[in-house]
Amino acid sequence: MLVLGIETTCDETAAAVVSRDAEGRGEIRSNIVLSQLDEHRPFGGVVPEIAARAHVEQLDLIIKKAMAEPGLMFSDLDGIAAAAGPGLIGGLIVGLTTAKAIALGAGKPLIAVNHLEAHALTARLTHGLAFPFLLLLVSGGHTQLVAVEDVGSYRVIGSTADDAIGEAFDKTAKMLRLPYPGGPEVESMAKKGNPKRFALPRPMLGRPEPDFSLSGLKTAVRLEAERIAPLSNEDVADLCASFQAAIIDVVLDRVRTALSAMRAAKRAPNALVIAGGVAVNRAIRGALQLLSTEIGIPLVLPPPELCTDNGAMIAWAGAERLARGLTDAFDASPRARWPLDGAGTRPKESAGG
Amino acid sequence: MLVLAIDTALDACSAAVLDADAEALLAAQTLDIDRGHAEALIPLVERVMKVAGVGFEAIDRIVTTVGPGSFTGLRVGISAARGFALVTGKPAVGVTTLAALAAPHLSESDAVPVVAAIDARHGNLYLQMFGSGGRSLVAARACGLREAVRAVALGPVRIVGSAAEMLAAHWPANATPPLAVEPRGAPEIIWVARLGAAADPRQAMPRPLYLRPAEARPQETQHLPRR
Ligand SMILES: Nc1ncnc2c1ncn2[C@@H]1O[C@H](COP(=O)(O)OP(=O)(O)OP(=O)(O)O)[C@@H](O)[C@H]1O
Repeated sequence: MLVLGIETTCDETAAAVVSRDAEGRGEIRSNIVLSQLDEHRPFGGVVPEIAARAHVEQLDLIIKKAMAEPGLMFSDLDGIAAAAGPGLIGGLIVGLTTAKAIALGAGKPLIAVNHLEAHALTARLTHGLAFPFLLLLVSGGHTQLVAVEDVGSYRVIGSTADDAIGEAFDKTAKMLRLPYPGGPEVESMAKKGNPKRFALPRPMLGRPEPDFSLSGLKTAVRLEAERIAPLSNEDVADLCASFQAAIIDVVLDRVRTALSAMRAAKRAPNALVIAGGVAVNRAIRGALQLLSTEIGIPLVLPPPELCTDNGAMIAWAGAERLARGLTDAFDASPRARWPLDGAGTRPKESAGG
Repeated sequence: MLVLAIDTALDACSAAVLDADAEALLAAQTLDIDRGHAEALIPLVERVMKVAGVGFEAIDRIVTTVGPGSFTGLRVGISAARGFALVTGKPAVGVTTLAALAAPHLSESDAVPVVAAIDARHGNLYLQMFGSGGRSLVAARACGLREAVRAVALGPVRIVGSAAEMLAAHWPANATPPLAVEPRGAPEIIWVARLGAAADPRQAMPRPLYLRPAEARPQETQHLPRR
């Protein structure tokens, strides 16, 4: 089957076509992503109204490209999928409405996909992974450990009490006056710095529940920085390195805890999967690689372009749901908030807007 | 020529199929809603197409209102119109809410100018004045009530739209009072369809007419000092 996927939850306008064969093997036929980075850069973060304005001007052109690249017509498709949440409501409305119009016009089923579910299922597209597996989802908006048990069956076993890890990277960068977006900047500064210079806290380390808390770490970075300001380049590099080292310690500990919990529940995962924008961080990837060897669980790292927001993961999640007969009505609501383990991950109640 | 018309920019969700050559409205429905357009529109289009008894392959043109209006609402209509255009390979055209509000009055008579005035909340209006032949006498703008009155209270006019009464209530005592005041929350969908049928199909894809910039503040600049 062939499914078109549309992604407009945040600041990427994206569309892709993915195929899924009878054995459940996936193939990406096209994957077009238009980043709005330049539009948001002057504001040092994503501005919802600016994002919505950009999506509505670009989305149809991006879809056209995604269809033209593999030379497909809408009649060739088996379904139209769009991310219906969670995310910024203005963009969700543009993506979901466009998908509904195409689905009605082409007489194809609509699949309203949960963006987090799409992150969760990406490893099945790229690596044909079997259930269950443990997902570490780390992005600008989310930090979760999820037991992925089946399509539509997700147990969030750990999440953050405050900031997401990507958000902590971004706020640290902002504080240290590094360019937007901050994640990659902090990583490259950290490479040059001394991770032992500042003794930063490792929040939640050793707790029995695999949850996160990042705001204390962020505050500690600020206090250290204020203490030694004005900052030299070396100071900034050392702060970044110390911050990233603390993040890595916390991530490794929380992943270990989640793995033990799954094993204790006799649901030993087949692999550890990382997804989300932070998953492109090489230091974090490397540390998880070592952990996976140490405790004997395969680590699945989707390629960076499938870790950040993209249409292929939405198309794939749509294909997985469609293969199980899970489709949605044309009155499906966009949902700004839509927890992964909520209500069978089907869009029902309205998020307003 | 069969035209599929939609409007979600203001306090209604509407769709219609117009046979423009026969001047026959094959189907039209309007829901009086000020929110929930994203849920309501596509099922509404599905029903209207069914009543009209035509498939999408028979549609020659899609027309949508492009604003001014609710930012979220107008993006629903434009997204749908551009989606339908993509899937049918037919052109989509945009019509402003102001022109669609004014159109029925201008078609009755264009001897007296028509002011389309939409309530933009917090004492603000979206406004445009049209004269003979639909010519724009006062360009589309977003402004406060006082500026609106100053721009259009120059002679006899007719006023239409959700801010019609507000504008009339603040009419200067020394100016000729409005000859007609029609409060309307949204344009009639048949006029959206008619204006769309008359538009140049080679115009670019419908784009939002916001009339107001996105609310956004540049990054605050309190960082730690750097050496
Ligand atoms: N090399 C890196 N190291 C650390 N963080 C990074 C790196 N590259 C990107 N990030 C972070 O990833 C986040 C962006 O990820 P992504 O695009 O997946 O998510 P999002 O749109 O912010 O959130 P979500 O997918 O949850 O809606 C940002 O916070 C960014 O700073």
